[in-house]
Amino acid sequence: MDSTSPDSDPGSDPRLDAPGEAQAAPAAQAAAPGGPAVYFDGLSNRRQNVMIGFANQLVMRSADNFVSWPYEDIRRVDGPSGTLRVSCLSASPLARLEIRDAALSAELIARCSHIDQHRLTRGGIARIVGWSLAAAASIIAVVLFVIPFAAERLTPLVPPSMEKHLGDAAVVQIHSLFGDKECSAAAGQAAFAKLVTALRRPADLDDGIGSQVLDTPIPNAFALPGGRFFLFRGLLDKANDPDEVAGVLAHELGHLKHRDNLRQLIHNGSSSFLIGLLFGDITGAGAAVFASRSMINASYSREAEEAADSFAIEVMHKLGRPTRPMGELLFRITGKEAGKQPALWSSHPLTEDRLARMRAADRPASGPPLLSTEEWKALKGICK
Amino acid sequence: MSYVPQQPPPLPSLPATFSGARSEFFRLVSRGAAIELITLGFYRFWLATDIRRHLWVNTAVDGDAAEYTGRGKELLIGFLFAMAILVPIYLAYFLITVEAERFKAFASVPLLISFYAFGQFAIYRARRYRLTRTVWRGIRFWMDGSGWAYAGRAMLWTLLAVVTLGIAWPWRTAALERYKMRHSHYGNLQGDFEGRGWELFKQVWYLWLIAPFAMVLFPLYPFVYAQLKAVEWRWWVSGIRFGGVRLDSTLPNSAFYGLYWKIIGWMMLLVVVFVLYVVGAFALVATLLGGGTGAKQMQAVANHIGLLVPLGIGYVAIILAANVVMRLYLVRDVWATVLASVQVHGIEAMADVAAKGDLASALGEGFADGLDVAGF
Repeated sequence: MDSTSPDSDPGSDPRLDAPGEAQAAPAAQAAAPGGPAVYFDGLSNRRQNVMIGFANQLVMRSADNFVSWPYEDIRRVDGPSGTLRVSCLSASPLARLEIRDAALSAELIARCSHIDQHRLTRGGIARIVGWSLAAAASIIAVVLFVIPFAAERLTPLVPPSMEKHLGDAAVVQIHSLFGDKECSAAAGQAAFAKLVTALRRPADLDDGIGSQVLDTPIPNAFALPGGRFFLFRGLLDKANDPDEVAGVLAHELGHLKHRDNLRQLIHNGSSSFLIGLLFGDITGAGAAVFASRSMINASYSREAEEAADSFAIEVMHKLGRPTRPMGELLFRITGKEAGKQPALWSSHPLTEDRLARMRAADRPASGPPLLSTEEWKALKGICK
Repeated sequence: MSYVPQQPPPLPSLPATFSGARSEFFRLVSRGAAIELITLGFYRFWLATDIRRHLWVNTAVDGDAAEYTGRGKELLIGFLFAMAILVPIYLAYFLITVEAERFKAFASVPLLISFYAFGQFAIYRARRYRLTRTVWRGIRFWMDGSGWAYAGRAMLWTLLAVVTLGIAWPWRTAALERYKMRHSHYGNLQGDFEGRGWELFKQVWYLWLIAPFAMVLFPLYPFVYAQLKAVEWRWWVSGIRFGGVRLDSTLPNSAFYGLYWKIIGWMMLLVVVFVLYVVGAFALVATLLGGGTGAKQMQAVANHIGLLVPLGIGYVAIILAANVVMRLYLVRDVWATVLASVQVHGIEAMADVAAKGDLASALGEGFADGLDVAGF
């Protein structure tokens, strides 16, 4: 094979606009210009000094080797600056030709129609940006719309026995955190049981509900998955009458009724995971991920709290007891909340808003008191 | 009498060179950071690839530059596969945790260790991916060995290092490096690692003693850390072998002092800029809101959406600037400094190496990303 036919397809001859070609054109008929290059065959790392020539294929010659590459199969790969490094689709995948002479490089580039096909162009980056935005948008849409819906639908499918496992694990942790400080004064226990039973009936919950008072000064109450809830002594200390405590307990029963713990577990777990897919290893992005995650989870939690409040109001109405005392108890504990913390990241609605709601729903007492004066006294002293 | 051909005299040692322009790398990472922001981080796969391509192609030994043949798309696919595997693992982990907690409070904490093991596995497999994408003179590097065998060794050595309060750490590093290098190959040349734990220990033991004082006298700390890194790099490079080829490094102990102080300087500058920005935004919102003064007004401003949004944007901008600084100094400059100190002995043993070894998948890189143990 000889280099007498430089280029067989003049129609797509890209040399016309290659400036380096001007003086080479007269000689093109006889022998294509060529020059020295370095060739690695991809089978051994031996460095082969070759002379390249431009025939109807790219030809490389050395004392003991002859190789030809079709121009349309030649692709540019990463090379150090000042060096053109190419590979060939139809040769060994790691075979490389390196040309250090600029004119010779320009000459080869001009002949190869697809040389930059593998390169990431501006359009390629635009495509990455487009797809990434689509992916990010779909993650956000899933987090905001699909996951709340899925949590709603999945929660009833989880068998109560499994939910109880979750609750048991939490109880073990609570006992190790707060110690074994269950309040068990007999008269107080009886009053507490009476109150819970009274609330359980209109709430339409069976007697699988477990409830305890813990001897802790923190004024709080919370429900656990699997139908169990805890009341802290701190809350009893702050309460002035049984209706205040009853409202709070009815609120916790609302959480149990709606299986809010399980729902939030499903929601928060899956939304945290999806948000974690964004940003990856960017140093410092953890705070941004954390902030957006907490914001979404807090918003979901606020909805659950509002629903539990509605439930508490409904139960108190059924019992013919006022709803305002519960709001007042909460307000006594937290005070005015607006402006104290960013509302976007708070897990509960503002206490003043809850109080306003309880006030608006308030009706004068029409049913019998939930506890007698003695029983109320006993309940206050349950931890003594 | 038979004629015994005389061995040719060994060739003089050769330096490794790095020819990448700093300005080019800066353009690459700052542009990459901007696209990373727009794509909420999804561009990271392509940016990591571009950084490696830049570093590899500008690294030359004996006049021939290396090449990185990995692609961002491979990393993305590896990441997606890794996620598909990690999701059920996370779920199983969650369920086992619940059962363990039922049995005893906080009994699930040891389960976290399994994630450490998984992280070590990911580190090994990610290295394998990177190595099989490294080409020099038309021949690729490759790796065999098992990621789990490596993870097992890493766990045992880490346990030993913890029990000995860090004294066993040099031996841990040497043993793990030995495993990695003995399973690394360049074509049909097998790698080896000759760095000894004792050699490393001799060079760093006093840093181990100074470290507690540096915690108190904190300006000392960057020096201690920079010196530890320099010693570690020098020891590591000097231990690398491929067949008859030996690497050697003359990196001085003080090589990275300036580098770490420059990072600290830049970070402090960024913090100052951010604080000024926050104060400015706060003052602006406060003026626009008008009204009274005092704690109440301060709280109202601090929770105003008009302040939170610019704060979020400013935070992201600072994070991206910090990432550019870190990549410029900790990736590019460390690479260039270390390479400038490398000498290659016995390159003639590499004259005719035959190609061998297959490509590895990017799954390991995906795990490393998912578990936050990714390297460059």
